[in-house]
Amino acid sequence: MQSHSIYKVPQGKLLKISLEYDEKKNVITDIRITGDFFAYPEEAIEHLETKLKNTVLERKQLLEQITSIISEYHIEFIGVNAEGLTQGILMCRP
Amino acid sequence: MTEQWRLLRTGFMNAFSNMAIDKAILVVNSQGMVPPTVRFYGWTPPAISIGYFQSLAEEVDIKACDRFGVDYVRRITGGGAVFHEKELTYSIVVPEIHPAIPKNIIKSYGRICGAVMNGLQQLGIESEYAPINDILTGGRKISGNAQTRKLGTVLQHGTVLMDVDVDTMFSLLKVPNEKIKDKLIADVKQRVTSIHHSLGKEVSFKEVAGAMKTGFEEEFHVELIEGKLNDEELSLAKQFEKETFLTKEWNHRR
Repeated sequence: MQSHSIYKVPQGKLLKISLEYDEKKNVITDIRITGDFFAYPEEAIEHLETKLKNTVLERKQLLEQITSIISEYHIEFIGVNAEGLTQGILMCRP
Repeated sequence: MTEQWRLLRTGFMNAFSNMAIDKAILVVNSQGMVPPTVRFYGWTPPAISIGYFQSLAEEVDIKACDRFGVDYVRRITGGGAVFHEKELTYSIVVPEIHPAIPKNIIKSYGRICGAVMNGLQQLGIESEYAPINDILTGGRKISGNAQTRKLGTVLQHGTVLMDVDVDTMFSLLKVPNEKIKDKLIADVKQRVTSIHHSLGKEVSFKEVAGAMKTGFEEEFHVELIEGKLNDEELSLAKQFEKETFLTKEWNHRR
């Protein structure tokens, strides 16, 4: 299943998510995170996208996984945060 | 003695050269081969630059760009899509450890935007910093800015709008919802301004550059000495242009 969301992060930037997910297992199979936010180092966004594969599409698991990847790769987001990313991803699901 | 930084006036170039030169200065500065550098430049032909994280196909109407002879390029910095036409673009490259640059990224945006605001003041325009990365005058955006940090080096580049054509800009950019396009254009017209609009007269690129030179000198308490790109920067810029900024792999990667 393919889906897309556009989410204006409160006090932040416009986040656009393209998501492919397995409806039966309720897990992410592919994700692309785009938008006009900032992240340091920039290249870490690709690690984040890779590591989000197979994550369950539930708020708690998503937030935990995103928070742990941000900490693992020392990513500093500006204009978006783990909560905003979680919300944008969950908005892709009907 | 006042610290001396280098000033580059590289004139008007195409989008790929412009982005390649900023990256080349960053790399060579990180090797300690050149002093902190401020660069002023313009764009010919006009171009759209998109932020590192943006999707080219989602943001830019590529067919319209081709039709109008407008180039498009992905930046190494985050942020939004910008239509570069009648503007002065600046870039500043400084080591992260330089005392002038706050460690905190948002604070460093504010510091560098302070130089642009000082420059605007030289032209008689009062402005305010609107975090994260905008400068407003009379509540309207007159400058957008974007920063990256790589190799222990800060690169920030940004626009100072000399004139603005929102209709042309929206004929080149895609909008998420065509139904509200007219309203969006009307909104952006209310939210964006330029030196021309703000002062009610046109100011030349040269004059804006002169004001910005003073702005950077006063904000950072340095003297900007006119210089040139060195051989290493020129050859790296050629390489980055060919291997990165001109390639489909880079521009379409997201």
